[in-house]
Amino acid sequence: MTYEIILDWLQASLRWSAPLIICAMGEIFAERSGIINMGIEGIMLCGALCGVAVSYYAQSQAVALFACVILGLVLGLMVAFLTVSRRTNQVVTGLMINLLAIGATNVIFSVLTVMRHKRATTFGALFPESMHRIPLVGPVLFAQPFTTWIAIFIAFIASFVLYKTRWGLNVRAVGDNPQATATAGLSVIKLKYQTLILSSIAASVAGGILTLASSGYFAAGGMTGGRGFIVLAAVVVGGWDPMRTMFACMLFGATDAAQLRLQTTESIIPTQFLQMLPYLITVIALTIMVKRSRVPKTWGAAYDGRRS
Amino acid sequence: MRTKQKIIKVPFIGDLIYSSGHTILGILLGIFTGGLLIAISGVNPFLAYASMFRGAFNSLQSFSNVLVRSSPLLLGGIGVAIGIKSGVWNTGIEGYMYIGAIGATIVAIPELGLPPIIHILLCFIVAMLFAGLWGAIPGYLRAYKGVNEVTATIMLSYVAIYFTNWIVSGSPLAQEGAYFPMSLPFAESSLLSILMKGTSLHPGPFIGLLMCIIFHIILKYTPFGFRTRMLGYNPFAAQYAGINSKKQIVMTMVIGAMLGGLGGAIEVLGLKHRLYMEFVTGVGYESVAVALVAGGEPIGVMLSALFFSILKVGGATMSIETGVSSSMASIIIALCVLFVIGVGVADSKRLKKRDEKDPGKKTLSFKMEEAVK
Repeated sequence: MTYEIILDWLQASLRWSAPLIICAMGEIFAERSGIINMGIEGIMLCGALCGVAVSYYAQSQAVALFACVILGLVLGLMVAFLTVSRRTNQVVTGLMINLLAIGATNVIFSVLTVMRHKRATTFGALFPESMHRIPLVGPVLFAQPFTTWIAIFIAFIASFVLYKTRWGLNVRAVGDNPQATATAGLSVIKLKYQTLILSSIAASVAGGILTLASSGYFAAGGMTGGRGFIVLAAVVVGGWDPMRTMFACMLFGATDAAQLRLQTTESIIPTQFLQMLPYLITVIALTIMVKRSRVPKTWGAAYDGRRS
Repeated sequence: MRTKQKIIKVPFIGDLIYSSGHTILGILLGIFTGGLLIAISGVNPFLAYASMFRGAFNSLQSFSNVLVRSSPLLLGGIGVAIGIKSGVWNTGIEGYMYIGAIGATIVAIPELGLPPIIHILLCFIVAMLFAGLWGAIPGYLRAYKGVNEVTATIMLSYVAIYFTNWIVSGSPLAQEGAYFPMSLPFAESSLLSILMKGTSLHPGPFIGLLMCIIFHIILKYTPFGFRTRMLGYNPFAAQYAGINSKKQIVMTMVIGAMLGGLGGAIEVLGLKHRLYMEFVTGVGYESVAVALVAGGEPIGVMLSALFFSILKVGGATMSIETGVSSSMASIIIALCVLFVIGVGVADSKRLKKRDEKDPGKKTLSFKMEEAVK
């Protein structure tokens, strides 16, 4: 019995960490280029609604994910225009994007009344049914929806792109010294636009996966439940490094899965205290890890094209 | 014509610019874009805005609703504004309100046999104490550990929300067998009195307005206010001048939290008369919006809080009359802020560049201003 619970928990941990990992990989690039995209919480929320709605109407998950990419592109352009071209404060812009997203998803969801009772089809597993029966690894790894595999794959790709390609080097340089990058003949503005759009697309797709890989429902208001901010924390905890951030995301995903499992068992701890767990772990992890991380040098500062 | 401008420097984050002219332009653009969105959803925007206006000003009752809804925004707005002045983002107002309301609930439920005014004050003090202690956690983490305060405050807000949910459903303070999770009813002596018959107007909004004036004076004329502003304008100069910036950051966050806690207590004692789940949902973000549109000035907070509460109360009427969801109000609020900051910052760039090009002009304009005086 306990063995099955543990297997179930491990399976759910990976499933819950997949959207966090995808979102975090985008955010790493944005923060490495010096811009904090605080709006990922809101963009994730929009992506979650977009994923469910499109998959319901178009009856295709590929179309739904594609729609999420388009949505992320549009929202990313908006965030980039404000924070890079208009040089608005990144924290404020992000928080207002979140407020905008909460309002917009509520308005749109109130129109789509059919969706309240219908459930979008969730993602299938990547590996065939027969492999699920292999003990231990079967249920934990092979029964995962294919998005989990994609998330882990994306983490490796992100690591490769950030450290081994020219573009990744440029991104890291922009975050640490934009003036020198501009002197070397690169467009700082263009790079920041690229990373911000990338992070928004990642957040939007992560939102789509959040609903389509687990329940298939959208809940208005608190669907993402602060996962965007958990991702922001995971990026700091992981020291802006894709591999370490992936493990931080898995830790937070595992906490989330654990509290969901514990809620169903007859425990003496009230469920509300279990629900607090992911947030408390996030704050504690941040406190322990924050001093050890190397912050990108112009993290959060606006670039105005002049020597500061 | 050059409008009067203030640039607020926020450490590690960048410049915030504030000027009344751009604020109004930004708000107008926000309302215009909101109208476009209403039009897209298939409703005549003029009719929608008219019903919104009627919803807020039609009768004495609806206007008192506006005042009542502005009370948490006022207190939350100043809480965030003080943070902005000293360069920290105190975004956890929602959490402080829940914790403050819990503090008030603990004292408000038992019949203590005190005269109402003492009982209410006791509730306020306990609420502020609870919220202040809660706000000290992210303040300490920000000042001494270097944890980003936005993430920390929002995470702790979620913790506060779930803690409130437990208080109203599983704790000894919860009402047994209620159809909706709620706390036990408050003692009669702890409730704020209704100022006008037939409305729900309680003294909360006036306490909020009073706090705006008090904090305007504190920020402007006291050593504490000077230290706060100095830290916000230039943290390095403040450090050099011997200001204990870490202590100052913790203090501003605790004060912001106490104001939030007071707001939460007023909300439950004046309006709800019990503690409910999620009774101030969304106020956290809206307080940030209020403080930003006000440019971090307590006097400006008065106006922007009233404006946003008109949008919220009017939005409810609009959704009944025209069928546009009342969440449209929060979209318009967010759009207003985005336009205000978008318009403002770009202009500061132009202003700086012009001054750089011909520094002579700047001094000339200053001389002319003095001559006019």
